[in-house]
Amino acid sequence: MNQHIIQTSNFSGKTHWDKAALASLIEAGRIHSRVYTDPELFELELDRIFSTSWLFVGHQSEVPSPGDFQTRVLGRTSVIMVRGKDKGVRVLVNRCRHRGAQVCETETGNTKFFRCWYHGWVYDTNGDLAEQTGDEAYDDSMDRKAMGLTPVPRVENYRGFVFASFAREGETLTEFLGGAAAIIDLMVDASPTGELYADGGSHKTEYRGNWKLVGMDGYHPLHLHASVMETIHRDPDSGIGSTHRSNPFDDTAATYTRDFGHGHSMLDFREHRIKHYEQHSEFIKKTSGGAEYIDAMHKAHGEERARMLLSISGDPHLGLFPNVQLIHNQIRIVTPLAADHTQVEMIAVRLGGVSDEINANRLRHHESFYGPAGAGSPDDTEVFERVQRGMQAELNPWLDVSRGMAREFTDVDGSTVGRISDEVPQRGIFRHWIKLMTQS
Amino acid sequence: MSSSMNKASLSDWQMLREVELFLFHEAELADGNQYEDWLELWTADLLYWVPSNDDNLDPQKKISIIYDRRAQLEDRIFRLGTKHAYAQRPQSRLTRLVSNIVLDDFDTESGGWVSSRFVVVELRNHVQTLWSGRMRHKLVREDGKLRINEKHVFLLNNDTPVGNMTFII
Ligand code: FES
Ligand SMILES: [Fe+2]
Repeated sequence: MNQHIIQTSNFSGKTHWDKAALASLIEAGRIHSRVYTDPELFELELDRIFSTSWLFVGHQSEVPSPGDFQTRVLGRTSVIMVRGKDKGVRVLVNRCRHRGAQVCETETGNTKFFRCWYHGWVYDTNGDLAEQTGDEAYDDSMDRKAMGLTPVPRVENYRGFVFASFAREGETLTEFLGGAAAIIDLMVDASPTGELYADGGSHKTEYRGNWKLVGMDGYHPLHLHASVMETIHRDPDSGIGSTHRSNPFDDTAATYTRDFGHGHSMLDFREHRIKHYEQHSEFIKKTSGGAEYIDAMHKAHGEERARMLLSISGDPHLGLFPNVQLIHNQIRIVTPLAADHTQVEMIAVRLGGVSDEINANRLRHHESFYGPAGAGSPDDTEVFERVQRGMQAELNPWLDVSRGMAREFTDVDGSTVGRISDEVPQRGIFRHWIKLMTQS
Repeated sequence: MSSSMNKASLSDWQMLREVELFLFHEAELADGNQYEDWLELWTADLLYWVPSNDDNLDPQKKISIIYDRRAQLEDRIFRLGTKHAYAQRPQSRLTRLVSNIVLDDFDTESGGWVSSRFVVVELRNHVQTLWSGRMRHKLVREDGKLRINEKHVFLLNNDTPVGNMTFII
């Protein structure tokens, strides 16, 4: 997100966190707070999670034309997602093959070449070395074809979402996403043409707390966001209210927490929101192009699915471990900077095949809750910082995540399901976390 | 310098002084977290706009940090006034300087556009944060009084990650 702040590690691989010590951090229904506070564990996470797992890099629509690029930070590594002159999307390490300078210092743009300012080596948008200044000084032992910008070993794309992995081998993206792939579809299919554009701008925020605090939590809204709930009660059509008809966070509501494995989790509002389809479709129809949108959705997806997709407004409310969430109208990228420092970028998406007014409404809806001056996210980051401060007290270092353990069940698709306020996502995330942290 | 120019600049000065005092008053209310009184400064229809990532963007195509019409600004002020606006508990302690005030396209009778620069020092939870940037106000005269019809705030750092900005900027 900010290419000037990059984790540099002098972590030597030596640690007192052997397998047994790591395993002792996670128990059934409780978690030791060191997982959020320990700087050495943070370094281990960069090695064992961010250097092995599939990571979200960006959406292909961020680089629509040859030469378009977008830099991002994956763990400690600054990368360039670039559409090459051959039209392929690559993820290249942002580091000159000569003596290591970053070759791209701009977050986004269009270019023919990446020129390293230090000694002038030039790379093309496919990453190949195009020019070596004073190349007569190198003899044939310099294999120029092998001196291009280092590609991240594996890159795959699911419906426009580009993921990369530093592990040369391992599970495929399909295996990694598992049941969560069908939930990504909920966002993409909110467009009747199946086109999503991550070009609505973004909110960039940061907080002094651990990256895993972002999580997925259906227990807090009634409490932490009480001020928003009060505001919604004044006008259900205003801002965030338009998708939160009646109370979705009540444990008697048809809303659920869902754990897909791999630390992927969801707040599942589908069943609840579909009950309010008529109200919500009236709300959509008030916008210019609204009736056409509803019509196009029915044609594209059939009655039943169209009603569900419209009811949830393309909000999958999905967290993909470790670094991306799809919430309301946003792709949210979580970038860990230190055990107690995290950046979050919320990129607003635009739906293809709908009117400008509908997309503009979705932007207004996003702004009402999210971003540094929104009604919701600042309360979230405020409490994450409070948690980080609170966890410094280690007299009794355990965090309780047992809510709903006795009532969770396994659904037909294999996911674990609980009521909306149950800590199913927290347990799912740490079940996967400990697996990755103790892998050899 | 001719005497007519002196006269022109003198009447400009009076106009400028009135605008200055108005912006200083707005700054006082914002610094004091006097939300309701600050809201009173606005006209019935309004736009309070803080763009995100860039100064020149189309708010119908790109997300803003704040894009409030009357209904949203009323929601914002209402919410800040509830007991549970935790991002402002404790409230920010603020002190701001408004300067470099220039009347761009302004007349005494009807008002117009005013440019200025600002620096806000915020203290919250023992952390001091500096915010700064450019502002444009569209002021209109209603019943003899200046009111804010539009306010655009171009933060110097609107393209870098920022923390909690829930006070009145
Ligand atoms: S470090 Fe890039 S050209 Fe020398
Ligand atoms: Fe929240």
